[in-house]
Amino acid sequence: MAELLKVIFEHDGIFLHPSPDEGSLDEDLLVSGFIRILEKDSEILVEYRPLEDSVDPSNILCAGQDSSSVVEWAQCPGEKSQSRQLLETQQSYETEWDMVNAVSFRKKNYTNGEGSLNHSHERSRWAFSVNISDLRSITVKDEGWAFLILQLKDSSSSLPALHFHQGGSREFLDSLRRFALLTECPEDETCLLVSTPNKALSQSFENLLDDNSFGLVHKFKRDPYVTTLGSFSKVTNYIYDALRGTEEQQQRPPEEVADLLGEVIPGLEINQQEEPGFEVITRIDLGVRPPVRRAEPLYADEWSKLQDPEGRIEDEVTLRQRIFKGGLCHAVRKEAWKFLLGYYPWTSTLEERKSLQKAKTDEYFRMKLQWKSISEEQERRNSRLRDYRSLIEKDVNRTDRTNRFYEGLNNPGLTLLHDILMTYCMYDFDLGYVQGMSDLLSPILYVMENEVDAFWCFVSFMDQMHQNFEEQMQGMKTQLIQLSTLLRLLDLAFWNYLESQESGYLYFCFRWLLIRFKRELSFQDVLRLWEVMWTGLPCQNFHLLVCCAILDSEKQKIMEENYGFNEILKHINELSMKLDIKEILQKAEGIYLQIRSCKDLPHSISTILGFDTERRVSNQTDPGSAPRPVPQQDVCSNGHCRENRPQNSCRGVFTS
Amino acid sequence: MTARKSLLKVILLGDGGVGKSSIMNRYVTNKFDAHLFHTIGVEFLNKTLEVDGNQVTLQIWDTAGQERFRSLRTPFYRGSDCCLLTFSVDDNQSFLNLSNWKKEFIYYADVKEPENFPFVVLGNKVDVTERQVSSEEARLWCQENGDYPYFETSAKDATNVAVAFEEAVHRALAADDKADHLIPTDTVKLHRKPRSATACCS
Repeated sequence: MAELLKVIFEHDGIFLHPSPDEGSLDEDLLVSGFIRILEKDSEILVEYRPLEDSVDPSNILCAGQDSSSVVEWAQCPGEKSQSRQLLETQQSYETEWDMVNAVSFRKKNYTNGEGSLNHSHERSRWAFSVNISDLRSITVKDEGWAFLILQLKDSSSSLPALHFHQGGSREFLDSLRRFALLTECPEDETCLLVSTPNKALSQSFENLLDDNSFGLVHKFKRDPYVTTLGSFSKVTNYIYDALRGTEEQQQRPPEEVADLLGEVIPGLEINQQEEPGFEVITRIDLGVRPPVRRAEPLYADEWSKLQDPEGRIEDEVTLRQRIFKGGLCHAVRKEAWKFLLGYYPWTSTLEERKSLQKAKTDEYFRMKLQWKSISEEQERRNSRLRDYRSLIEKDVNRTDRTNRFYEGLNNPGLTLLHDILMTYCMYDFDLGYVQGMSDLLSPILYVMENEVDAFWCFVSFMDQMHQNFEEQMQGMKTQLIQLSTLLRLLDLAFWNYLESQESGYLYFCFRWLLIRFKRELSFQDVLRLWEVMWTGLPCQNFHLLVCCAILDSEKQKIMEENYGFNEILKHINELSMKLDIKEILQKAEGIYLQIRSCKDLPHSISTILGFDTERRVSNQTDPGSAPRPVPQQDVCSNGHCRENRPQNSCRGVFTS
Repeated sequence: MTARKSLLKVILLGDGGVGKSSIMNRYVTNKFDAHLFHTIGVEFLNKTLEVDGNQVTLQIWDTAGQERFRSLRTPFYRGSDCCLLTFSVDDNQSFLNLSNWKKEFIYYADVKEPENFPFVVLGNKVDVTERQVSSEEARLWCQENGDYPYFETSAKDATNVAVAFEEAVHRALAADDKADHLIPTDTVKLHRKPRSATACCS
């Protein structure tokens, strides 16, 4: 029976640089191979295998032969080895040529067939496999690429240095951190001490970290690996640039820009330090992304059937799910959005809604009268109002002007947009008008076709978005940090790439987040996306998964073209109006399902997506309201409720 | 040695609505859209041009003008070779704010010698009939604040836009030559060193 062998991590393009005194026949020899982390009978092994190696266990000459640390290479079942051989023939040439192109190493020439046979045999000498509990330390060095030196506990001889010419050392260490604690050696910051505290690998590392004996991890100020390589990163860039023959002279400024942005968004670093799982659980196996189908939009006849004779929405939960899956046909939006945004309570009767609307109309016009009745003299002494008005006038003239509702001169839509924004300044004078708000109002007004309803729906939407626009832009910072945390989990390789391009704090997503993709999608697609998001399904902060979905579609281009800081920003900006809403929503939901089915989800992710809140909510037995996954009115969709949030008075009407 | 492509970073600053994006678009794409959206965040466009037989890539950065976005705008000031201070001739407040923009730029761009940094001032929207700022006022301000070149532009009908950017390029290159301790001459030559060179060797 074949032994149970699970590949946890695999990365190729790992080279050994044997020197002649290490017994190499050829001083130019570079051994190309791959590294793996394997789980075998609850033991975690680190294995290096050269390519062009016949898969024959007897060929393996383990480094540190006399050490108990070296375990034998476990043969995979036949099927697997066949596929690997295939992989080898495909990759052995490419890998070496990549090397030649990227770092100008001399490619070894094989002059005769015999030589290549000997060569193959020679290579097999370099395979090794070691149990991680026998590792004493890993030294991380950098020579324009990262190389790692693995030191064994009970052997004075070290294993050959592993040169990560094609990246992946960080991912390798991150994977290793799932099974071992890597702590910076006090004497040598390039050296990470390996400790394997517990062989029960199933035990959650979060629990482990709560244990006082591992308190050192909490005190661990910096991610040692980040620190170690961070100091080399600039050098690395210069070397790469020199070898690429780049003419770009803007190397320094983007880095400086990035440093400054890092100061602007300081939470990113803090977040990583505070996150206890960060050092350990940075990558989890998410499994295959399930295919997702979108449904047809909810049609008018369906909508009217959902109400009882008095006009109450009978099954809010099902309705939300229905809207999440298919959105709304346009005819239903005017009514349904009022519920989705919380202007109308789901349980209200038609009669109650009429009286609510009446009260809200009075309230609106009282506020509108306030700015309407300010004289020019008064305004001259009120610079804030003057500034708000001036900017609103300018921005109304450049918001969705190609839409029929706002096009042409003297279109009544423009007056309404202006008046509602001015009245909002009276509603929330501290915030006033901030650029971006006209983008948020425009689709709502377009759907409502009514000044008062549009205003109150806008107020509800602004309740969710308020923090984005506040003086310190805390909402933006929080979301960028949360998005970075999510992306790191979902796609560490891409996250690492962005980080290497000084873009790890995802500044290029600023516009997406500030105005919820309003500028990225066609007007009709914005309506669809927003109504889907307002259902509060399938989880809190679903819009961040929408970001992840878009980034997932773009990462290949970004990485293949080796985009730097500026190019990434430009590329993302230029995605505007090129995105497919259906595809994005399917992918975002797929990502949600992947995360959802993940067992050992880091706490930070559960918090961002509201899984922990949700559990609490569902445990409560609240006879007053139907259970729903995310109480949207209670949890701001940016996961951060602002303090002293103005009471949304429409809720008060029914409770008083 | 073959001619090296050079990259210049130019940044457009000024109040919201003075026409920064329109000026950039007019120069780069030669198009004007009266209903262009106001800028959210930061954007840039590249334009390649030839100066004295050498190729220069102009990287033009455009930002959101509202005060609220300052903290997310200012990091991009670093590394600028020239700053285009922009106001609208039909908006006196935008003219009064020029000195604030200049201050903000100098502070955040970490300019070594502010008195020698190449600023160019643009009074945009000269196509509009109701002016609030006269040419004289604007020229006086430019004279008193560092003898900056002043251009009255219209992104709408393309008046002076290209000229203003060309001046920006020449000023930026001239400033760079001075910084390299080369004798300033009337003809601008391109012999910029790669910025990374010094840092790389140190």
